[in-house]
Amino acid sequence: MNSDARRARFERLAPAVIDAVRRYLARRTDPATADDVLSETLLICWRRLDDMPEEHLPWAYGVARNCLANAERGQRRHVRLLARISRLDPPPATVDGPGPPDGDLERALRSLTAKEAEILRLWAWEDLAPAGIAVVLGISANAASIRLHRAKEKLRKTLTSSGHEESTEGSRP
Amino acid sequence: MTDDDDLRARLRRADPAASLEPASPDQVAHLVEEAMSRTTRRWALPVAAALILIAGGTAWAVTRPATPEPVAAPTPSASASASASGTVVLFSTGIQAKCREPEPQRLAESADFAFEGTVQKIENGRVTLTVSRTFRGGAVGTVEVAQEGESSEQMLGSGKFEMGRDYLVAAADDTVMICGYSGEADSIGLRDLYEAAF
Repeated sequence: MNSDARRARFERLAPAVIDAVRRYLARRTDPATADDVLSETLLICWRRLDDMPEEHLPWAYGVARNCLANAERGQRRHVRLLARISRLDPPPATVDGPGPPDGDLERALRSLTAKEAEILRLWAWEDLAPAGIAVVLGISANAASIRLHRAKEKLRKTLTSSGHEESTEGSRP
Repeated sequence: MTDDDDLRARLRRADPAASLEPASPDQVAHLVEEAMSRTTRRWALPVAAALILIAGGTAWAVTRPATPEPVAAPTPSASASASASGTVVLFSTGIQAKCREPEPQRLAESADFAFEGTVQKIENGRVTLTVSRTFRGGAVGTVEVAQEGESSEQMLGSGKFEMGRDYLVAAADDTVMICGYSGEADSIGLRDLYEAAF
C-alpha cells in the first residue's frame, strides 16, 4: 500500500477508533492517563495499520488494553506520589453522568474476579459479542463465550443474594 | 434471553462513559495528525543525543571495526571532555529525514552497539543507565546519554528517558538510532525487534 493510500485509510478509520477507545479508556482509568494511552494506541494503530483486521474495533481495544497495562505498570512505581497527588487534587467523580449510582451492582462487580468483571464490561459497555471479546483478550472465541456465560451467571447470582440481604437500602431502583 | 437484556441494561446504566462528550472534529483531526506525524516527522527531528560510554567503552572503541567519519563533527566541548576522561562520545546526526517501519534486518545491519539498561540518574540533562544486557558491542557497565530538554521525542514509549525505567537503545556510526529502534523496553514490538535482529 503506498503512503497516500495508507494515510487515507487511517484517516477513514481513525474517528471511529478514537471515539471507541476514548470511551474504553474513560471507563477504566483517569483522564490524564486516558489521553496518554489514546495517543499511544493511535500511534500503534498507525504503525501497524497493515495488521489491522476488517473488524478493527476489537483489535484496537486489544492495543489500548496493552498500552493501558504498560502505563499502569509504570505508574505503580510511583504509586506513593500518585496517592499524594490524588489527595491534593482529587479527580472528579465518574458518576456524574449516568443515573443514580447502583451500589449493589458495583459491589457485585467488585466481588467477581478482575477477568470476569472485564468480560462483562466488554460485553455491556463496549457492546462486544464473544468473538470480539476473544480478540481483545487474546483468547479463543469458544473460551470467551464460556467465560462470558459464567460471568453473567455469577453476577446474576451475586445480585440476587445481595438484593435479599440489603433490600432495606433506599438506593436500589 | 430477556434475563441477559436486563442484566446488560443494568450494567449500561452504570457506564462511566455514558456522559462522555464525543471528541470534537478538531480534537480528532489533531489526534490523527499526531499519530501519523510521530513516525514520519517528529521522530526525525535532529536530536542532539550524545552517548558517552564509560567503564569498558574505551576498550570497545579500540576493538570495534573502523567506521567512516561521523557526518556531524564533534563539538569542541564534547571532544575536549572525551580526551580528558578517555571516554567515547557518540552523536545523533539527525540525518534521517523520514522513518520507515522498523525492521529487524535494518537494525541488525546498522547497529554497532545495542543494549538494555535502567535509568539510574538524570542530572543536568545527562542520563546515566546501568546496562543489564548487551546485544551488540563490547561489555559496558554504564552508559551516559545527553538528553536535550524535556520534549525530545526520540524514544518509543515514554518519549524520553525517565528515572527507573528500562530502555532498549541501539546506536549506529556513533549515533543513537531513533525512529522506533530505541525506546522503553516494554514498548510493544521493540523487544521482539531486538530478539529478531540479534
